[in-house]
Parts: sequence; structure tokens; C-alpha cells
Amino acid sequence: MVSLSRRRFLGVAAGVLLTGCGRDAAREQPPADAEVLAGLLRRELEGGAAVAGVAGAALIARQDRLHAERLAELSGAGTVATRSGVAADLPAALARKQEGVFAYVAALPRIADPDLRVLVMQVAASEAEHLAALRLAAGEEPVPDAFAGFTEAPAR
Amino acid sequence: MTAERVRELFGAPHSDAGFFQAALHVEQVAALAYVAAADGPLSGGEREQALRFADHERRHAAAFETMLFALTVPVRERADGEDLDALLPGLRRAGRKEALRQLAELEGAAIEGHQLMGRRLAALDSLRTVAAVMAGGAQHLVVLRHALWRTPLTHAYETGH
Repeated sequence: MVSLSRRRFLGVAAGVLLTGCGRDAAREQPPADAEVLAGLLRRELEGGAAVAGVAGAALIARQDRLHAERLAELSGAGTVATRSGVAADLPAALARKQEGVFAYVAALPRIADPDLRVLVMQVAASEAEHLAALRLAAGEEPVPDAFAGFTEAPAR
Repeated sequence: MTAERVRELFGAPHSDAGFFQAALHVEQVAALAYVAAADGPLSGGEREQALRFADHERRHAAAFETMLFALTVPVRERADGEDLDALLPGLRRAGRKEALRQLAELEGAAIEGHQLMGRRLAALDSLRTVAAVMAGGAQHLVVLRHALWRTPLTHAYETGH
């Protein structure tokens, strides 16, 4: 799981802005939006599979399904076959969800369509909420990090 | 009222620096709001949580300050009590439920503003910072909804409202 110190995070935040190394900088053959969304779909399906079967996570599983269906539609993947959960393992579900948040956030600069960027931000926020809700249901501190896991990986 | 005022703040800028200044102001006010709620209407575990969230908001503000620094824009003003009263009128005198409701409204409005930045920012790399802050705010929203007995705690597409 990615873990960054706050100082490093802020340094990175400033650094990427100063160097401008995303789509806003000159770069050859950036991935098409559909390609980026297809990668997010794969990540979403992994997260959905990890959540399936976790006690009290039925709503989250339904919302994951909605994310996957929308990403499949927008990426041109068509219908999605939801992967079945292998075990009701909360730590694994939290880990996959955290990776999902990282993936959605990381994808944003690579998405050209502003509407799709907003959609991905809405899903990223939803995934972050899932993490908090799962921790809350488990009696854990729901928000252990100010940046939804970007500065401190939860102790697991 | 809070949401409308935050919407006005995020709706005004025409540059990346302007967006970061608006976002910084909202995070600074949010930090003040959680402290005010902890000092007044909230108690026990909710008070402790509010103080933790106030610290989170200060970190969010620091992140936006860093972005402004990278754009060589100096940060000269800091939100104060007047700004808090303007954005969340009555918070200091509110009861527990009203205070939580106002905090949830502020968090939601900030999320909406961050998503507007997702649409309008020119420097797309900076969106990673914006989105990390937004995700932290979305997690705060879950806790506030839980305290208010609101359901669902999570939304499939979190728009902030």
C-alpha cells in the first residue's frame, strides 16, 4: 500500500505543478479517456470482489456495481461480469478500496474530458466514503488520515 | 446558506490561482468551524472527532497553500472569526444537531467546489492534490451523516449535495 509522509506529499504536490508533467504539458500520445477508464474498471472490479461478502457491506457492493457498470459503458467494455468475493475479509476489502482511491485520483490528470474528470472525482469520493463506512462499521477510527490514505496508510 | 456562499466562492475565479485561493479559504474556515463546534455544541467523542477533523482541515489548507506557492502566489490573508460567521452563521450558538448539519453542509459544498475545479483547472496534475483533499472531506461527511443518523452513509456518485 502506498504511504507518503505529509511533507513528501506536499513536496510532490508542489513538484508536479512546477514541472507540469501531465496532459497539460507537452506529451506524446496520451492515453485515450476510454483506455484510462478501462484501467479503472479493472480496479473497480477487484475492489468490488473484495467487498462482496463483508458483513454490512451490501450497499457498498451495490454502489461498486454501479461504478463498474458506468465505467464499462464509458470505456466501451460493454457488460461487466462481476467477480465473486472469495472471502469476507475486511482487511483485504480495505486494502483493495484504498488502492481504488489511489487509482482514481492518479487517473485524473490523464482524462481529457472535463465531464469524465468530474465523474471520476465523484467515484473517488464514493470509494473514500466506502473506506470510512467500512471502518466505522468495524468500530475502527473511520478517518485515520486527512488525505484519505495518501499521507498515512492505516495500520493493519 | 452555507452551500450557496461556498458555491459563490468557487464560482468566481477565472484562474487556477483563484480556485486555489477559494479552496484555501474554505478549508481555513472549515478548520475554524470544527474548533468552534468542539468548543461549543459538541462534547465527548464528537468533540474529540471535531478536533481531529480541524487538524485535517488545517492540513488541507496547507496543501492548497503549497499549490499557491508553486504558482508563486503569496498567501497574505487567513480566515478568521468573521469569515466563520459569514460562512456558517450561528454555528457558535447552535445546538449539537444544527452544528453537525452545518458542518455536513460545509463539507458537501467543499466537495462540490473541488469537483468544479476538476472541470475547470488548467493544470491537471494539481487535480491529484484537490482530489486527495476532496476524498478526505468525503470521509468526514460519512462520520457527520452517521452522527446525524442520515442514510445512506455513502453515495455511489458523491456530488456533495
